[in-house]
Amino acid sequence: MSFWRRKKREAEIEEELRSHLKLSAQDRLEQGEKKEEAEHAARRDFGNMELVKEVTRDVWGWRWLRDVADDARYGMRMLLKNPGFAIVAVLSLALGIGATTAMFSVVYGVLVNPYPYANSDRMVHLVAHDATGNRRYINLTGPQLQQLRQASCIESSAAMEGLDLTTTEGDLPENVLTVYLTSNTFIHFGVPPLMGRGLVPSDAPEGQDPENVAVLGYQFWQRHYGGDPDIVGKNIQLAHKSYSIVGVVRPRFTWGDGEVYLPLRVTADPRRAYFPMIRLKPGLTHAAANAELQSLLEQFAKQTPTHFPEHFRLAIEGLNDHFVADIGGTLYLLLSAVALLLLIGCGNVSILLLARGTARQHELAVRSAIGAESSRILRQLLTEALMLSFTGAIVGVALANSLVKLIVNWLPEFSFPHEAAININLPVLFFSVGLALLTGIVFGISPALQSSRPDVAQVMQSSTRKMTAGVRGRRTHSVLIASQIALTLLLLAAAGVAMQGFVRMMRVNLGYDPHNAMSVGIPVRDNSYTTWEARRAYFNQLLQKVGAMPDVVSAGISTNATPPNNGWEQRFEISGKPAAEQQRARINFISPEYFSVLHIPLLQGRIWDESETMHGAKLALINQTLATEYFPNGGAIGSQIRVPELKGEPPFQLAVEGSNSWFEVIGIVGNARDDGLRNPVKPAVFLPYTISMPAWTQLLVRTRVPPLKILRAVREQIHTVDPDQQASRNIRDLDGWITGQPEWEQGHLVATLFAGFAILALALAATGLYSVISYAVTQRTNEFGIRMALGARRKDVQLMVLRSAAMSVAGGVLIGVVLTIMLNRILARWIQGSSLDALILAGVVLLLVATAGLSCFIPARRASSVDPIVALRYE
Amino acid sequence: MGEKRERYQNRIELLQGTLDLLILQTLQWGSQHGYGISVAIRNRSGELLQVDTGSLYPALHRLEKQKWIKAEWKISENKQRAKFYQLTAAGKKQLTRERSKWSQLSDAIAGVLQPEE
Repeated sequence: MSFWRRKKREAEIEEELRSHLKLSAQDRLEQGEKKEEAEHAARRDFGNMELVKEVTRDVWGWRWLRDVADDARYGMRMLLKNPGFAIVAVLSLALGIGATTAMFSVVYGVLVNPYPYANSDRMVHLVAHDATGNRRYINLTGPQLQQLRQASCIESSAAMEGLDLTTTEGDLPENVLTVYLTSNTFIHFGVPPLMGRGLVPSDAPEGQDPENVAVLGYQFWQRHYGGDPDIVGKNIQLAHKSYSIVGVVRPRFTWGDGEVYLPLRVTADPRRAYFPMIRLKPGLTHAAANAELQSLLEQFAKQTPTHFPEHFRLAIEGLNDHFVADIGGTLYLLLSAVALLLLIGCGNVSILLLARGTARQHELAVRSAIGAESSRILRQLLTEALMLSFTGAIVGVALANSLVKLIVNWLPEFSFPHEAAININLPVLFFSVGLALLTGIVFGISPALQSSRPDVAQVMQSSTRKMTAGVRGRRTHSVLIASQIALTLLLLAAAGVAMQGFVRMMRVNLGYDPHNAMSVGIPVRDNSYTTWEARRAYFNQLLQKVGAMPDVVSAGISTNATPPNNGWEQRFEISGKPAAEQQRARINFISPEYFSVLHIPLLQGRIWDESETMHGAKLALINQTLATEYFPNGGAIGSQIRVPELKGEPPFQLAVEGSNSWFEVIGIVGNARDDGLRNPVKPAVFLPYTISMPAWTQLLVRTRVPPLKILRAVREQIHTVDPDQQASRNIRDLDGWITGQPEWEQGHLVATLFAGFAILALALAATGLYSVISYAVTQRTNEFGIRMALGARRKDVQLMVLRSAAMSVAGGVLIGVVLTIMLNRILARWIQGSSLDALILAGVVLLLVATAGLSCFIPARRASSVDPIVALRYE
Repeated sequence: MGEKRERYQNRIELLQGTLDLLILQTLQWGSQHGYGISVAIRNRSGELLQVDTGSLYPALHRLEKQKWIKAEWKISENKQRAKFYQLTAAGKKQLTRERSKWSQLSDAIAGVLQPEE
């Protein structure tokens, strides 16, 4: 029944009853009664007009709705009458609901519903674990893909290859991250394009060169073409080849982070391996698929041993498994933190409602005395609570919107799927509404229960409203305060641990100097510089050009050695020593300037020179960790080491003759971080970059000015060597490489958010405590007046007030400390690299007690500054 | 005062559900407004049955909701706008049902009350 129909019906009932009165009065007039008498008698006979109206309306079943509307109107009036109370309550809830909504939308986006692909829960990656537990994604050749497709556990499969191409449309060549996809990929993923079409089988006919068609990534379309709505049908130049644009994918289709998708021609070339995309048949476990595919992959490994680790075990992973392992725990930890914040906020509102309930005892007692059922009063109070929580939710969702943007910015870039849509969407809004309902009941129910059964006789008889709350009320207050304090302490301790861990990571001894240095990535085009001599000469030419720039102090080549997480982890052997399976080192390919550019000291021996580099001399440097671990008694210099897996694969990987033979160690360099900021430095081997050159290199440049300022000039220099040569996108300076480490980003996220949440929690707890004490002080003004009139000193009154709070604060601190110690193990697991120590705990307790003291002291002072005369007259 | 009290004491409490029957029966003779219905019931019962407005109007609206009667605003004989109720086809059937139920009930009660012979 709509609101308007209901209104109309109510008006009609009113009119009907009035006409009854008129008819009745008219009858009496006709029987000879006087007009006034007749009307009076008619009204008397009729009875209670309002009551008749109400029971008649009830026939239509609006009683419930009308009661709610009445309650809401009344509640609104009560809230507007106490704006201070309403604002504090709504803000307390808004902070909690906002933060929880924001965190939930991240959890929902990243962990619950990350992929737009059809049946994404059955899509898997082939991952092999070697004997030491290292993960490696498996790539397969064309014939192997054909064979894999026949496996009975696989429903559908496709393949891809990522490559850096260039657009040569601007003044300088620009890098375009290109993903080649088999032509069935769009069917495999089941996501229709935004515009035009996706790739179709006729784009890549069997055994022929694919059509020159391109599908654009959404971001690239937005950035490069300004979201041109007429883009389909136009052409794009990639590496001097023209492609016709046939479609644009949807924003959440970000497979391979592709900027442009081109059809892939799968060849039978055994050197060329593609990344497989696989969807399992329904109802299959990963274990069953592993069991079936293990033997097939072992067979493949015999064909192409370099594409597989030795003695591997297949452990296929769902699309999101890796991200869940990476960041799932952290996100759930943050979600629990905001849930705590919300609980603290609820505690606050409960306290405020209880205090107000006591102040409203008179009002409620009157209602009860004139016949309101206690269930009716309960409903009234719950309606008020729900009004508060829904207002809080509305403000909270508004806050959440900006918080979500902040969190998304801070999420470790490669620790969550880029397909994830992290925003305030419909499921998130449902969650917020549920949260509002739940919180309304959580904080509203206990005050409502207490206030809905006022002791009418007692309240009505007492002449004054200013009574201290009953023992029961005071006990509830103490419990609420103590729980608030305990939860706040837990949050503060977690924040302390997170911040300490992060600060420790920021202060870590890097072993190299990241300031005023950058790394410029240079992808080499397919089919260019395909001989060892040509590529060596090309890289050297690039290095010479950039090294000669006036703002450049020094420059070097670091194929794969840009710290703080660098090198190719491989098994190595030392001549004359038995080689253990686990004997692994990070193998780095560099030019001799590498160490001076990074300010890494040479501890012993010498560094090879330029002519040795150009010849691909079989010389090696090792870091201090490797020296002390494998040569504890010295003798490292002059020893021979070899990396058995170090082989070329032309035309992609160009290696010197005998690259997997013995290298002479000629020097030891200082340790620099090579396994991230948290892990100890791993053993490292440095070889001349000319030993093995992929289709990719990096120029390491130390500059006199902030490095990114001369990036354009560097790109221009590269342009002079090869007019089609682009630099990779998103070039960072070495400080940026540090802040781009997942552990740095994760530490930053957790530390910042926890600190924020903890500060909010502290503020909320302080507000709660302040409200309780101020309220108690107001209630006892009379009593204090009497006490002071009888000779109590100010200090005595202050102590009395403080003592009442001290117990609950102390209890809360105690529970909080116990809780923190109990939960320490979980904290240490998810806030990595940190653990609780006594210093943090003591600091947190001190901070909390000081804040609590301050929140109590202000009202206590007010209590003691009461003029006894005024207090006694106080109503 | 005395007279009024007597009248009040003479009133008979209506059995649950019988009001519906009385209303439907009254409307059998033609459409009528709420006041008219209450007057009709009072007169035909020899002033014995006095229907409370607090019972009459909820009953009327209940019957209207059940679609046994329908309502229309009309001008009464003495030039008053009033809401007139009228039996529907379903209401007529309902009246037959209620009447037979009532006669069964009153027979049954009469049987119980009859002195044993």
